Order: sequence, then C-alpha cells, then structure tokens
Amino acid sequence: MLASRAANSDTFTVTPTSDREIHFSRLFDAPPAIVFEAMTRPEHVRRWWGCLGEGYSVPVCDIDLRVGGAWRFVNRHPHGEAAFHGEYLEIAPPSRLVFTEIFEEFPDSVSVVTTDLVNEAGKTRMSATARYESQAVRDMVLKTGMEKGAALSYDRLEDLVATLRT
Amino acid sequence: MAVDSLSTTFAALADPTRRAILAKLVSGECSVTELAEPFEMSMPAVSKHLRVLERAGLITRRHDAQWRRCRIEAAPLRNVAAWAERYRHIWEGRLDRLDDYLRTMKPKETTHARKPRRK
Repeated sequence: MLASRAANSDTFTVTPTSDREIHFSRLFDAPPAIVFEAMTRPEHVRRWWGCLGEGYSVPVCDIDLRVGGAWRFVNRHPHGEAAFHGEYLEIAPPSRLVFTEIFEEFPDSVSVVTTDLVNEAGKTRMSATARYESQAVRDMVLKTGMEKGAALSYDRLEDLVATLRT
Repeated sequence: MAVDSLSTTFAALADPTRRAILAKLVSGECSVTELAEPFEMSMPAVSKHLRVLERAGLITRRHDAQWRRCRIEAAPLRNVAAWAERYRHIWEGRLDRLDDYLRTMKPKETTHARKPRRK
C-alpha cells in the first residue's frame, strides 16, 4: 500500500502495527555498512535528511554516536525551521540503531525509533518501528495527519486491509 | 468517530478471522451466512466476531427482508490510514533522499567504510 515513484520506493511500506506503533520497511541499493554510515555521520546526514528540494537544508546536524549520546538535527524549509533531537539507546553497526526522537515544537512527543538493517544480496532491507510513549502523542500525530486530509477511496481501503493481514 | 477509539479499532483488527471478514466486505455487502462460508466455524462463533467488529464501528448490520446484511464502515479504517499516512509523508521523503544519496556515495565510500573511523 501507500507506495510512491522514486527509485526503490515501490519497496516502501508503512504499516500501523498497534495503536501506538508504526512499522515501515524499505530496500536500498547499498550494503548495510554504507546505509549505517549515511545515517550516523553528520557530513552524510546533512545531504539527505530533510533535503526535500529547493529551499531545504540542514543547518544543524550534531551527532554524538555513543549510547546515551545526543543528536540534534534542524531542518530549514521554505516556511521556517523544524528541529528534532534525541538520544542514542543502542548502536550496533552495521545492523541496528535505536534512538529517541522528539519534535521540538511538541516537547512531549517522544518516540523510540528502532532501525534494523539486513543484508539482502548486497542490498539493504531497512526495517524500522516508531513507538510513541503515550497515546496522547499518538493522537496528536494522528490529528495532524487527518488535517492534511488523508482521503481514502475504497481501492485504498482494500490495499489497507490487505496490508494489515500480513 | 473520535480519534481515541483508534485503540478499539486495533483491538478489533487484532484477529485474522475478523480481518478476513473485513477483506470480504470490501467487495460488497454480505449476509452472515455468506460471511461464515469460508470459515470452518459455527454461526455463533462468526456472530461473535461480527459483534466485535460492530462495536468497533468497523461494520454495520441491517435487516433486509429476511436477511441480515453486513457492510464495512470506512471511518475507523480511515483513522488507521491517516495514522499511516502521516508517517508516510515524513519518512517516504526522507528515505527517498537517502536512497538518492547512497547512489552518490557508494562507489568512493565502499572501501572507506571498512577502514577504522577517523575522529
């Protein structure tokens, strides 16, 4: 369900797995060691994270890659800035990275993001879950999503039900 | 439907038989007998699943002459989709850019990645 058109993006799936947890999965044309590096070194992160097009940049990208170490990324976009920060909970290159993530505009919005990178014939299958600490935060994120107008046709409803089944 | 009932929706969805019932209802209204057909299950057992789905607002039942017809209700599933959609918006963009970026770094960085980290 919910796929888009860029390279490998047909491999992207988003599945809500419980009322507070979202799972997503995607394939990348690079081995896990490379993907892990791209996710954990500022000189790389600056060049992809939040760089959605013209007018987007990452002016702040601090990474203290130790268990208990902090990270903070600021995304400049055409309408202002959005800052995120968190703490690394588990670091096991090249296969696993666990961190907390807080969207600074909503300081209570703590989620724990667990990312597993698995080698699939030289490519990398990224399998990640984001789990919200509280239902209140989940509801807030959900409301934002609904305000954006997630119109749902019966075709997509069918896709959704099929996804939930797996 | 209030956002808070997302938990109720997920509780109702947490059963393969109930998801299969919903999948069948996506293609149109069915009688209880039609719904029970694919499952090796007694009518009371099927009725129990239908009650759970009905309480969660995922289906409605109506009397049509002598038959009780069931139909799927989209609203609670829309909430689940909105929840997924929100994440898709954020992550799809990020991961597409990561994918593009990996293509640019792969040739020259592959050997580099094996060397000890410089600090």
